[in-house]
Amino acid sequence: MNANETPPTTEPPSASLAPSASANPADYPAARAPTTSRRSFLKAGGMLSLSSLMGAGALMTQSGEAHAAAEWAEHFQKNYRLMTDAEKDEARQRLERRYSQEYEKPVTVDITGPQPGVLMGYALNVRKCIGCRRCVKACVAENNQSRGERPGERIEWIQVLRMERGEFSEDKMDHGYPEGLGIQVGGNAYTPAGQVLEGQYHYTPEAVPEKDATYMPIACMQCEKPPCVKVCPVRTTYREGDGPVVIDYNWCIGCRMCMGACPYWARRINLTTPVLPKADMNPVTHYLGNRPRMRGVVEKCHWCLQRTRQGRYPACVEVCPVGARKFGNLLDPNSEVSLILARKNVFRLKAEMNTFPKFFYFYD
Amino acid sequence: MMKKSVLHTIFIALVALGGGALITACSDHSAPPAAPATQEQAQATPPEPTPEAAAPQEAKEVVCFESRQGGATDIIQHEIQPGLLNVKCSPTTSAALWYGDPYADTVPMGKMPLLESIPDDKAVVRPRSEKLNLLAMCGTACHNNTLPPADRVPPTLPKNNHPAPIPTMEGMLPEIANLQHGRGRIWCLECHHTTQRNMLVDHFGDPISFDQPQLLCGKCHGDKLRDWRDGIHGKRIGEWASTGKKRWFVCTECHNPHNVQDGERNRGFIQLQPETPPQLPHGMVDADYEKLHPIPH
Repeated sequence: MNANETPPTTEPPSASLAPSASANPADYPAARAPTTSRRSFLKAGGMLSLSSLMGAGALMTQSGEAHAAAEWAEHFQKNYRLMTDAEKDEARQRLERRYSQEYEKPVTVDITGPQPGVLMGYALNVRKCIGCRRCVKACVAENNQSRGERPGERIEWIQVLRMERGEFSEDKMDHGYPEGLGIQVGGNAYTPAGQVLEGQYHYTPEAVPEKDATYMPIACMQCEKPPCVKVCPVRTTYREGDGPVVIDYNWCIGCRMCMGACPYWARRINLTTPVLPKADMNPVTHYLGNRPRMRGVVEKCHWCLQRTRQGRYPACVEVCPVGARKFGNLLDPNSEVSLILARKNVFRLKAEMNTFPKFFYFYD
Repeated sequence: MMKKSVLHTIFIALVALGGGALITACSDHSAPPAAPATQEQAQATPPEPTPEAAAPQEAKEVVCFESRQGGATDIIQHEIQPGLLNVKCSPTTSAALWYGDPYADTVPMGKMPLLESIPDDKAVVRPRSEKLNLLAMCGTACHNNTLPPADRVPPTLPKNNHPAPIPTMEGMLPEIANLQHGRGRIWCLECHHTTQRNMLVDHFGDPISFDQPQLLCGKCHGDKLRDWRDGIHGKRIGEWASTGKKRWFVCTECHNPHNVQDGERNRGFIQLQPETPPQLPHGMVDADYEKLHPIPH
C-alpha cells in the first residue's frame, strides 16, 4: 500500500468538497477520477457504497408508510440552504404526506422563500404591555410547540418578565441596596427592580397589570448579527434574507451551543419527544417555521414564517389585547414599525452586545 | 339564552331524578339503550329530545372576548371550514387566542379623515352598533313582541317578553354612576347625541355611529388619533403590509369610555386575569423560589 501511495491529487478543494456535501449520486463525477490514485480509489469506493445506500433509500421510499420513507429520505437530505428548488419541493411533499398521516388531517408545509424588498421588523410598546401572557399562549397554539405536563415537555417561546417599578418616595429613602445581594440589580438606588436581573416570569396574580409592576415580553430578537448563528457547529441556523433567524430542524444536532450563546434566552430544546395532540396541531406550517419538531432539536420564535411570508401578521400581534405589539416591513417607510422608529422613543434590549436586534421596544 | 339554559337545567335535573343512565341514552342518540330497565322511562319522554339535543350544543358553545369583557366584542366559536375554527379561546380566561379568519363579521370601516387613500375593502371593522342599540332593543323586545336573535341581545337586557324589572340606565351600565372620564368636566351628552340616543355626536352636533367612535374620541385625544391612524396606537389584525387588508380595532373595543380613569386600573386598561405561567424549571418548587434564592451576579 505504501508503495502505491501518491501525493494528493491537485484538483481544487472546492471541486473535491462540493460533491461530498451532495446527497445526489448523479452529482458525483465518477468518471473524472483518473486511474490509480489511492485517494481517488477510496473516494470512488465511498461513492459506490453511498449510491447503493441511496438506491436502498429510494427503494424504501417507493414502498412502506410515509413515516419510514421520510426518515430514510431525511438521512440523505442536504442542508436546507444547499437544496435546490426541486429538492425543497420534494422534501415538502414528503413532509406533507408524513404529517397528514401522523396527525390525521391535511397538513401543508410551506417553502415560500424571502420576498424581495422585505425586511421584517417588530416593535413592542413596553408601556402598554399588561403581562396577560396571551401572546405566549397564542404562540403555542400557532407554532405546534410541545405541550405536555412532564418536566421539559411544555415549551413556550415568549417569556413575559415582571419587573418591579422603582420609586423615589420619601419613606423608602432609608432602604438601600437589596438586602443580601450587596449590589444594585436594577431599579433605582432605593428600590431594586426585582431580586433577579432576569425579572420574574412565574408571576400568578389574580389580575394584571399589577400596580407596582411593569412587564417586558422577550422572545427571539432576530438579530442582524446573531450570536447563535456564529456558534452553530453545523450551520443549521441562519438568517433568512428577509430578516428572521431560522433553523433547519433536520440538521440540528441538539448541541445547544446556540442556547448558550443567545443573550436573550430565546431558544428552547426538545429534551423529550414533543407532545402535540392531533386535535391541537396547526396544519398550516412552514418548513423553517412551525412544522412539528422532533426530539433533540432546538427551536425558537421565527416571526410566524408560515403567516408572515403569506402576508399575515404573526399570531402574537393579532391577540395582544392592548395592541402593544407591532409588526411590519422596515424597508417600507409607511409601515407601522418604520413610523414607530421615526416617531417614538425606541430602545433595543442589550444593545451593548452588538447583536443589532430587529425587535424594538418603544414607549410613548 | 339565560332563560333557555334555566329550562335545560330544570330538565336535566328532572331527568337526573329518573336515573343517570337515561341522560347518556338521551344525549347520545346513536348509542343503544344501556339497560332494559331504562327503556320504559325512555318511552315516557319522547317529546323531550329536541331540548335535550340542543342542550349539549349550547353547553359547549364557547364565547370568547377580545380586548375587554362587556365591550360587545364577544365572538362565538364555530367552524368556518372543516377542522378550522374562526377563533380559539383560552380555557382559563376565555380570551381570544387565535384567529382563523381575522375578517369574520366585518364591514368596511368607511371613509375617515386623512385616510381617504385606503380602498374600502382594505380597512374593515367589526360592527357593534347593533348590540349597543339599547333603546331600539327595548322597543322591540317589550312593546313590539319581536325578539331579536339571541346573540344580538345586549347582555343586560331581558331575553324574552316575560315581565321583568325594567333595566335602568345605571342597571345596564353600572360604571356610569361614577363616570370616570374627563375629570368631572364632561357628562353624557358631550359624547352621546341629544335626540338620537343610539348615536354619538361630533363637534357639529351630527350623529356618529357606535362603529366609528374614533371620530368622536379624536376630538380631544388628537395625538392618540394620529397614532391610531398610522397603526402605532391600537390594534389591527390581518395583513401586515401597509397596503394590506386589515381589521381595525376602534377606540371602544379596547377602552371603556365610561371609566377610563378608574383608580383600579393601570395604564388605561381593565385588569385582566392572566394566562397560566410557564412550567417551572427543574429544581424550582414554586414561583417564589427565585425571590428567595437569587442568582448570584
